[in-house]
Amino acid sequence: MKLKKYISLTRAGIMESLHFRLGTVVMVIGNLLYLIVVYFLWKAIYASAGTDVVNGMTFTDTLIYLVLATALFGFMEMYTVWEIGRNIQSGKIVLDLLKPMEYRRYLFWSYSGSFVTQFFFTFLPTFIIVGIVTHGAIPLGTNLLFFVISVIMAVSINYSIDFFVGTICLFTESIWGINIMKQVIVLLLSGATIPIAFFPETLKTIVYYLPFQSIYNAPLTLLLDGNPKNETVLTILSTQLIWCIVMMILSKLFWKVSLRQITVNGG
Amino acid sequence: MKQKGLGFYLRIYGKILAQDLKSKMSYRADFIISTIGMIFTNIAGFVSFWILFRNFPSINGWSYYEMLFLYGFSLVSLTPVQCFFDNNWSLRMYVYSGDFIKYCFRPINLFFYYQSEVFDIKGLGQLSFGIGTLIYSWSKIGLGFTPLILMKMIVFLLTASLIMIALQNASAATCFWIQNSFYVLDLVLKFKDYARYPITIFSPVFRFIFTFIMPIAFIAYYPSLVILRPDEVPLLSWLSPLIGCLFFWISYKFWMYGAMKYSGTGS
Repeated sequence: MKLKKYISLTRAGIMESLHFRLGTVVMVIGNLLYLIVVYFLWKAIYASAGTDVVNGMTFTDTLIYLVLATALFGFMEMYTVWEIGRNIQSGKIVLDLLKPMEYRRYLFWSYSGSFVTQFFFTFLPTFIIVGIVTHGAIPLGTNLLFFVISVIMAVSINYSIDFFVGTICLFTESIWGINIMKQVIVLLLSGATIPIAFFPETLKTIVYYLPFQSIYNAPLTLLLDGNPKNETVLTILSTQLIWCIVMMILSKLFWKVSLRQITVNGG
Repeated sequence: MKQKGLGFYLRIYGKILAQDLKSKMSYRADFIISTIGMIFTNIAGFVSFWILFRNFPSINGWSYYEMLFLYGFSLVSLTPVQCFFDNNWSLRMYVYSGDFIKYCFRPINLFFYYQSEVFDIKGLGQLSFGIGTLIYSWSKIGLGFTPLILMKMIVFLLTASLIMIALQNASAATCFWIQNSFYVLDLVLKFKDYARYPITIFSPVFRFIFTFIMPIAFIAYYPSLVILRPDEVPLLSWLSPLIGCLFFWISYKFWMYGAMKYSGTGS
């Protein structure tokens, strides 16, 4: 019975995202352009380096890492901050708060539909194309299982961060500024723009103590490692799990405290 | 109707600008946060360059400072589109809701009136960051400084701006035909991130595409060659001011054509 309400939200989300077909086409073109730029940029970089392996990563590794990071971004980005911010400005949030479901959960499940469509229309094709283009450079084994587990936790961490940042909008009236700051920090420090292996040592150490690398770096590292050592896998997954729990608690607490502050225009 | 002079339009622009700034100032927190967000984005771009060039001394014969110059050049040339033409982002909302019709009843140029309504101050943060980057890389490369080079700089910065403005006008105007032009605008916005890389890293096919079909290379690469590599300036660089004006004129006609076709929503 409990599951049914979640599934109906998911279904509504799938239908909603299929409605904007033209948007999807343009988005695919945009992603393709990005991939072309990334491909040639890193090709030029590796050509100038003179060696095949830089910081333990080959050109193929880097390419797979960055391409799949983009695919993961398209898959995980839920525009939560925008949604919360807009709902606050328009006053619609009052209606959502009255729903017989926790707001945090409601928002997540109403987006879960676009997870499904994004997975089949963006992530899976990208994954297969990358696999073919690089002549099977993605190892297929137990690492796939670890990757899936890791991605699920990454989705949760990403959502918690988004929800936390979205809560800030209750206080600031600013959506664009808050969202762009979040996006810039997450994309840079999670390794989505440049693999973390290329970071200077001090920065690398700092980044490993932050939650952001658990979103992109962790699943991609697990995926690219063909013969994973039990220790590494365990460290990465448990770090993710800890962040998963910590961020969930933090975002829930912050939301609870902030809700007392809420002022709704003309609600 | 009598043709109105430039002085008349400047006076009107001043008046509309003052009104817009006054209304913006009532959301002071939003203004401050947005400006910080803008600077964040620019710093992140800077940091990723720094990380890349820590690992690789040069890319495709382009040194760190030359790349920084390109980056600064693109930031400065993107300022006008950010500051003066930001209302393009709202065009689809006005057209969709029918509010656009109010602009059609003014006895001044429709395009001018629409664009003058919003002045985006956060572009100024980007401008100062861009100028800083330009001066820093300029002094490191040792380009020298003469009034002639300064004049060239200004002309070619304006050229690059015109191209970006033209691209944005045209993509915003698509909303007169399709419902949601957001994706098209977003795609064009991404162009500016790719503009900061030298076009020579691409294969000939994509060099052609990025020059003639999607003129990304004109946003920074071709115009800045005039300053950066004065000994080997290709013909396209010299032609770019002409191309900029032509593009702007075409996009203006396209925008106006869409606006004239607009028949309101009937409300």
